[in-house]
Amino acid sequence: MTVVNIKINGKKYSDDIEDRTLLVHFIRDHARLRGTHIGCDTGHCGACTVLLNDRPVKSCQILAVQVDGESIETVESLEGSDGKLSIEQEAFREHFAMQCGYCTSGFLMMTHHLIREYPELSREEIREKLHGNYCMCTGYQQIVDAVQDAQKRHNDKKS
Amino acid sequence: MMKSGNAQVLEPADKTSTSSTRNVGKAVRRLEDLRIIRGKGGYTDDIELGNQHYAAILSSPYAHARIKRIDVSKARNLPGVVLVLTGQEAAKITRPMTSRAATVSPKSHYIMANEKVRYMGEPVAAVVATSRYIAQDAVDLIEVDYEPLPVIASIEDAMKKDAPRIYEELDSNEIVTDHFEFGNLKRAFQEADRIVKDRIRIHRYASTPLETFVVNAFYDQTRDELLAYATDQQPGRTVGSVSACLGIPSSNIRLIVPPVGGGFGYKLAVWQYVAIISLLSMKCGKPVKWVQTRMESLYAFHRPRGYMDAEFALRKDGKILGVKLTDWQSDGNWPYVSALYSLIKFANMSGVYEVPNLQFEYHCVATNDPPVVQDRGVGKPFMAFAFERMMDLSAKELGIDRARIREVNFVPPEKMPYTTASGEVYESGNYPLVFKKALEMSRYNYWINEIPKLRKEGRYVGIGIGCAIEPGTSNLGYYFLSKASEPDYNGAGQMSTVEIGQDGIIKVNMNGPEIGTGHVTTITQVVGDIFDVDAEKILVDSWFDSAHGHLTYAGTYSNAFNDVYLGAVMTAAKRLRDKALRISASYLHLPLESLSFRNGGIFSEEAEKEVLTLKQLAKISYGQLLSFPKGEEPGLKVVAGYINPTAKPFVRSDFNVQLTHANSTHIVVVEVSKDTWAPRIIDYVIVHDAGRVLNPGIVEGLAIGSTASGIGGALYEEFLFDQEENNLTLTFGDYMKPTAMEIPEIRLEMHESPAPNTVLGTKAVGEGGAITSLGAVASAVENALEPFNVRIRSLPITPENIWRMIKDTDEYRKLKGAN
Ligand code: FES
Ligand code: FES
Repeated sequence: MTVVNIKINGKKYSDDIEDRTLLVHFIRDHARLRGTHIGCDTGHCGACTVLLNDRPVKSCQILAVQVDGESIETVESLEGSDGKLSIEQEAFREHFAMQCGYCTSGFLMMTHHLIREYPELSREEIREKLHGNYCMCTGYQQIVDAVQDAQKRHNDKKS
Repeated sequence: MMKSGNAQVLEPADKTSTSSTRNVGKAVRRLEDLRIIRGKGGYTDDIELGNQHYAAILSSPYAHARIKRIDVSKARNLPGVVLVLTGQEAAKITRPMTSRAATVSPKSHYIMANEKVRYMGEPVAAVVATSRYIAQDAVDLIEVDYEPLPVIASIEDAMKKDAPRIYEELDSNEIVTDHFEFGNLKRAFQEADRIVKDRIRIHRYASTPLETFVVNAFYDQTRDELLAYATDQQPGRTVGSVSACLGIPSSNIRLIVPPVGGGFGYKLAVWQYVAIISLLSMKCGKPVKWVQTRMESLYAFHRPRGYMDAEFALRKDGKILGVKLTDWQSDGNWPYVSALYSLIKFANMSGVYEVPNLQFEYHCVATNDPPVVQDRGVGKPFMAFAFERMMDLSAKELGIDRARIREVNFVPPEKMPYTTASGEVYESGNYPLVFKKALEMSRYNYWINEIPKLRKEGRYVGIGIGCAIEPGTSNLGYYFLSKASEPDYNGAGQMSTVEIGQDGIIKVNMNGPEIGTGHVTTITQVVGDIFDVDAEKILVDSWFDSAHGHLTYAGTYSNAFNDVYLGAVMTAAKRLRDKALRISASYLHLPLESLSFRNGGIFSEEAEKEVLTLKQLAKISYGQLLSFPKGEEPGLKVVAGYINPTAKPFVRSDFNVQLTHANSTHIVVVEVSKDTWAPRIIDYVIVHDAGRVLNPGIVEGLAIGSTASGIGGALYEEFLFDQEENNLTLTFGDYMKPTAMEIPEIRLEMHESPAPNTVLGTKAVGEGGAITSLGAVASAVENALEPFNVRIRSLPITPENIWRMIKDTDEYRKLKGAN
């Protein structure tokens, strides 16, 4: 057992955990933030994607003890404290970019990262960058629409 | 109070609306998404009960073996473990599963393996512990001695005279077989100019929803009541099945289905695990949660593999005179759904064509393949694939164009409603028009001219066509066609509860699971129109709850939502509206005819203004009983049901398996790389007729999403087994799902032929792409490979499979010689 301190969405979570505790289980079961999902437990599907110090990671592939003292952002961080939806959230809703929604948190976190990392992405590039995130429902087209739109909204806001 | 920006309002997305009603027909944004994008999906795994315990299941590593000994002592002694239950112990206190449709029923198939295991992954024992990690550790400590038995890996092996039997108590591995004939086949085949035959195969693949099975069950020993949460697509049936299996009266079972992270039919099979986990909770008295791992979910519940022998009798202009089909299917070893895949094929057996004479024979065979489930479209994707392959082949053999042969055979629109040879009723549609639009959109003629030129440049480009019917709304009980006894169910209907709460909010429980197809939004649109209120006054429950009125087969499947579910919601809503108006009229001493729901309240024509708010209405209806009209009951809650009137009783000579029939044409352009033999989709066009469209944004997503799942099945996905029936595809690294990179941009156009037999004119949309795409993709790849003169008879069309097909051809030698 090890005591870890992990900052999630700006809030500190501290717990005495088994060393083998996966980060995704820490987020879901210890911090009780259920927006991050598990779709495969083998690092393929991206449902568990969160940001670790602003970089997207698959939280089923990391032990919680590995990120002791670090900072994590999950889907719950996107909404403003005033209840205002983020650019990514708005765009996904506008474009019907989800059906069951099980994959959505992972896609939103990837989008959050992509639109800040790259000033411009073609549809083909978006598709390539999203290949680590599976969606079994939508066929991806409306997700690509949403990412494009989120990028535009982000760029418009900056300029 | 809701925060600003969070309010539940039906806002149009940035799309054109097609209707003048308040809501229906508009691409309003989905209300579900407000939960989802905040990470508040509220899926089954998100629910945590007090004193939560966790289960893990030991799965069989063998496909066929006798269980000689199980030693659980080490597992039991692990700190944190509260219960270990073996399949053998479970069998003593549960009842075996029986066949639903098969004419014979084994007596040795329990929810966990008893004396022997019959597939790799079958549950053998289960553990309950204080954490999921400990539960898994304990599973690893269970010792089992297996004695391997000869494995039956194919239909041929299973049908051998001396084949070992999957169920020793049965005479044969053939679980059900039957033969149907409609019209005069003999004459059709005598009169034919040409008879075209082939054997078309289907492989094992599955829809793999991103959320796996999850069950959380608590058996309260003080009340002898079971409360279970589960990712269940057919909870109505599960209540009955769990009751029968565990001996708990169904009235003592409450089953709740929170929003489901993808259904696709896969989650029709969860009931077995609801029974297992509930049994564990009964035994240990704790709330027990089980989350299936991805590996466990890839072990079992797939589409079955099999093949179909097809014979088409044709006139030389391409006109079909008769069709004979013999279907062989390896149903694995879950006789529970045997025959379903075969018999549902009647719903689209003739496709979009006139087939006057039809013969169908089927054989369902038990093997050591894992169990099957009614995966997206059930037998219909294979039926359409086989039929469309035969259309292409017939065109080739007759020397006519693939588009032309289809045009010759379409059911003409003036014959609608059209009854097929077996009795399926195509209620409306214009198949030639949908086809024509698709040809234009895809520039079919351009490609037909261009492809030979590209070939000269050494590029293997091809265009393919797929046309299909997408049936919806099962007339349940069709799978008893081969059985003499009465089915448990027949017809198609649903129940729903609509109420105006004491706070004036309109609450709707549709009582079917929410599986991601936008039901909350659609119901809000429809109910908003009935009461003329805004979405913020409507609360649609996204849970199925067996405590509310429901049918024994209640569930979200067979594309029945827009038909019978909406029918039930609308029936209840209208009845509630009438009741509310009667109470209002009596209370206000105004004539009933002068009152109506308008703009979120009750409006009087006479007074020319709103006379009651919904809150006032609720206050009166729930408390001020003396102002009621005579005989009126208090409260504002209505439970109502609806039946689609077009379901026929089952007579073997004339029956309808499903009640609505959407149709679509897919046209695909593909290029096959001559370096890697990988096919790549260059263009994908869909023209889909799903009847009336209630929300274009949702319908578009379903049409494209279902097509993507078909593309996966056509090009990438296959469960592979070795000779011992070991499943070699137990992660997404081996079982290849298409990602955003593989799925092409899809150009979609909707055509609307309203269904005369559904409440709002809608038809099915959630399975269509999965049905039509297989044939279209195969047609395109075959066309691209025309210089090699090969026939595509099976899927998936992987680079390896293409290479195997072409490697011994002259064209290939020429090509390699030239390099
Ligand atoms: S759950 Fe982490 S990648 Fe699938
Ligand atoms: S919306 Fe269901 S998995 Fe993406």
